Amino acid sequence: MQAVNEQKNVARGIDIESMTRGPRVSLADETICLEVKDFNLFYGEKQALHGINMQIPKNRVTAFIGPSGCGKSTLLRCFNRMNDLIDTVKMDGHLLLDRMEINSPSVNVADLRRQVGMVFQKPNPFPKSIYENVAYGLRLQGVNDRATLDKVVEKSLKGAALWDEVKDRLHESAMGMSGGQQQRLVIARAIAIEPEVLLLDEPASALDPLSTLKIEELIYELKEKYTIVIVTHNMQQAARVSDYTAFLYMGELIEFGATDELFTNPAKKQTEDYITGRYG
Amino acid sequence: MVSNNSQHISQQFENELQDIRSRVLAMGGLVEQQVANAMEALVTGDTEMAREVISFDEQVNEMEIAIDEECIQIIALRQPTASDLRLVTGIEKTITDLERIGDESVRIARMAINLSEKDRPKRNYRELQSLGNHVRGMLRDALDAFARFDVEMALRVAKEDREVDAEYEGILRQLMTYMMEDTRQVSRVVDMMWSARSLERIGDHAHNVCEHIIYLVEGKDVRHLSIEKAEKVVKGEPID
Repeated sequence: MQAVNEQKNVARGIDIESMTRGPRVSLADETICLEVKDFNLFYGEKQALHGINMQIPKNRVTAFIGPSGCGKSTLLRCFNRMNDLIDTVKMDGHLLLDRMEINSPSVNVADLRRQVGMVFQKPNPFPKSIYENVAYGLRLQGVNDRATLDKVVEKSLKGAALWDEVKDRLHESAMGMSGGQQQRLVIARAIAIEPEVLLLDEPASALDPLSTLKIEELIYELKEKYTIVIVTHNMQQAARVSDYTAFLYMGELIEFGATDELFTNPAKKQTEDYITGRYG
Repeated sequence: MVSNNSQHISQQFENELQDIRSRVLAMGGLVEQQVANAMEALVTGDTEMAREVISFDEQVNEMEIAIDEECIQIIALRQPTASDLRLVTGIEKTITDLERIGDESVRIARMAINLSEKDRPKRNYRELQSLGNHVRGMLRDALDAFARFDVEMALRVAKEDREVDAEYEGILRQLMTYMMEDTRQVSRVVDMMWSARSLERIGDHAHNVCEHIIYLVEGKDVRHLSIEKAEKVVKGEPID
């Protein structure tokens, strides 16, 4: 019977099973990389995140969407403790990276940030050569061996789909690159130290449509190796690049689900109103 | 849920969606009239009316193309999501079915012309008339369900299709008996069979329209499911 079914499902070499209804991904089948449990965050008196619970799967792209001020960037910044820099921030609840408590005092923040890389909205290359930008993280770690650096720089630039464009001018200043190239350079810099997670905060919002597509294509390739969390205002972008989408509104997680599902048939009316551009 | 009362921030977009919805209803109204007129022509032998149905088909086709273009415009320019996306794709499919209903009306009108040259049967196509009324009712209700985004009604109409199919089977059996009784009748009865077949197809298309309505309102795909399963899917109950 099973053989018959199998035969039916691969009729004429077409894998019908893989084409049938339902979203392509399911959280139940995933390995969880980042976990947020009953997480609250306050800026002074003001509560910015309310009881967030979320599981972010490994080697997938998870997008955070929501209107300005909904807390999506705040949450993203928690994953590599960027909020430590703000004195008035108070947090409770749990943030786990591979089951390790991110906010535990025993965590070395520099180590954490090596594991969890971040790319910002505006490309921020250092005023150095292209080569030195990518090698920077390794040099910080004390790696100065030329051959090793050469190898890592080439690999990272290839990983960021930039190598072919810059291989003949590696020692020119990074400041002379286009915005789209600079952003890919920053991604190359982030992946040079082989992090586990890449946080992308509006990585393409300052770029033209073609550079945006290159970044999106890059994100698709990068998820083979990294867990990616992206904050974006561009909903079509979230729909295109992500496997999972989280919709946040006024500091609360309203809905989290497979992107296919969330953009065609959201469970909550607030999500529906936001993604279809309606008044709440 | 498509029963979303909140307004789009873009009034322009809101208007565009309203506009395709009303155009579908206008197209539906025209198609409904085509079916009614084709049946009238068949029953009364009014060849002029039959010719009118045939010539009006061009309008149905033009409406399909116009709505199709507008949907493509909306997809390209507005990138609709969620219920808006389902509305646009649901409409795309609905107009395909409506256009096919138009084509079936033309077939019936052609049969009406053929049959007008032959002797009228004693019962004056009463069985076809009854099937015709049945599918016209389905079509009208399907369009009402579309206008109101009424899933309950869509399910009820979809259910009717089974009865239409049974009625069609019954007519076929009856017509075959006629043929066997009197072979001189074969040519006329074959035309009647084609007409019955077209009516049955109209019922199928109305059923499809109901499935599109359920999809665009609920986001649930009930195609190729039995009515019982479709009802479960709509209620969110497990099937199998």
